[in-house]
Amino acid sequence: MLKIKTHFIMNHSEQLNLINEAINKTKEQLKPTSINFIFWGLLISMMSLIHYSFPEFIQKTAYSSILFWTIIPIIGMIINIIYNIKVGVRLGFETHIGRALKLVWGVFNIAWLLIVVLSIFKKQNPVEEILFLLGVILLITALLIRFSPIIVGGIAVIACSVLITLSTGVNVLLINAVATFVGLFIPGLSLYLSKKHV
Amino acid sequence: MFEPLDKLLTNPIRLMVMSVLIKVSDCDFNYLKKITNSTQGNLSVQLKKLAESEYISIAKSFENNYPKTKLKITKKGVLAFENHFKNLKKYQNLDL
Repeated sequence: MLKIKTHFIMNHSEQLNLINEAINKTKEQLKPTSINFIFWGLLISMMSLIHYSFPEFIQKTAYSSILFWTIIPIIGMIINIIYNIKVGVRLGFETHIGRALKLVWGVFNIAWLLIVVLSIFKKQNPVEEILFLLGVILLITALLIRFSPIIVGGIAVIACSVLITLSTGVNVLLINAVATFVGLFIPGLSLYLSKKHV
Repeated sequence: MFEPLDKLLTNPIRLMVMSVLIKVSDCDFNYLKKITNSTQGNLSVQLKKLAESEYISIAKSFENNYPKTKLKITKKGVLAFENHFKNLKKYQNLDL
């Protein structure tokens, strides 16, 4: 806890020190962000591997794979939103960077839903568009919090999206599992272990 | 040129509140109470002074039947804080 003089007039240096200490104490906590990365990295790569391993079960009916790829992520989003609200209440403040991250990932969630819905109508696999969008959002996040492993993750995810576009015969589910593991899980884990604050 | 320091911001609790609010988009009363290590009454008085000068805005609401006070710095507050900080820097150089 900061020790502050409350009954004396502070000199100039003391005032500057006080400003410095208060700003340093109020930093964006990146641990919850890293938990979000780990959660989504694990969830999506596990889902991709389950789909890859048991296609006859996931693609049993015309809609079963659509339901698999919409219901579980939507439940994940709800869990994620509740967790982030609880963290926000516990912290008691929201930094400008925190607000920017919230808006960027909120836009990603809406864009993800739109891409999935449009892909159902167009009967196209949405993985390549989603991975490209995810890569861009990861790069924005990395630049905001200045954390290079996320830049590497973002580039890897965009590379996976390009690979799906340019190559024929690659397994989209395996690429998706690798992309989310490399782009979300690994940077999330390194962020969790780094104890970085901005 | 040396300008006089903003008297409203020379108080430690008010200066600390402004320093926190400049970093955040919003902040609740309990966090400020914790970080300033002040009593509820004293903090309320200092916040009222800042709000009267339109340096901060105070929004009161209820969350799960508990009152919640959210605080934000205003544009006028940002300008005042930046000006105060610049002046402090100038005076600090003079001290040396």
